[in-house]
Amino acid sequence: MALVPPEPATNPAALAYAPRNALLTGPIAGFLAWLVPGLGHMYLGHRVRGVVCLVTITVTFWTGVAIGGVQATVDPHERTLWFMAQLCTGCNTLAAYGLHSIVEPHPVAGQRPPAVLAHWLSSDVGVHYTGVAGLLNLLAILDALGRADAPSPKRARRDHPPGVPRP
Amino acid sequence: MTVAALFTTAIELTGPQRFLLMLPLCLSIAVVYKTMRLEDVRAIPAASLILWATIVLAMCAVGVGLWAVFSIMV
Repeated sequence: MALVPPEPATNPAALAYAPRNALLTGPIAGFLAWLVPGLGHMYLGHRVRGVVCLVTITVTFWTGVAIGGVQATVDPHERTLWFMAQLCTGCNTLAAYGLHSIVEPHPVAGQRPPAVLAHWLSSDVGVHYTGVAGLLNLLAILDALGRADAPSPKRARRDHPPGVPRP
Repeated sequence: MTVAALFTTAIELTGPQRFLLMLPLCLSIAVVYKTMRLEDVRAIPAASLILWATIVLAMCAVGVGLWAVFSIMV
């Protein structure tokens, strides 16, 4: 029995499963997934998956902010660990923290800063919503990093039409 | 400014209906988890609903169980 020579490097079927640019694709996808939820998946060609992540995580985060109020929800000084979880949503937390800085009452010299009035239950629910949104985006970031070496769905469909056996 | 006020003013939550806020949070967890796990995106809605119902029912069962244990012991 004669040995089958290895596939040449120009074979599209072999190229489809070769890493695109292993050095850059993973970090870029991970950074984009952190910056905007779902953007890493869109960059990798998983558009539907990316849109689902974008809508779900963004709506969850801003629902939490609306429930608890931005001052009691996104607070790196009072809720440091929760803020670290919220930071996983990237630009959402940065925007919320910017809003927090804008609306935060500035203390007058010689006086205590006015307390942020929020119902304790509202702020707790808001923090849970935003923290869970951050942890869900952390899951999405790790998934995008894992998918970075695989071919995009479009490229895989083009190179391997359904019903055609793979080499 | 009205939109900003939506996110700067906290909602006052009272009464047992506050537990309903668990439902959308569980739904978002189920949707994102199934979006990551499933390769076929058309299967995501049904699988997410099944997982959502499982999470909610399991949490209710745990809650009822803990309440029963508390009622017996106290």
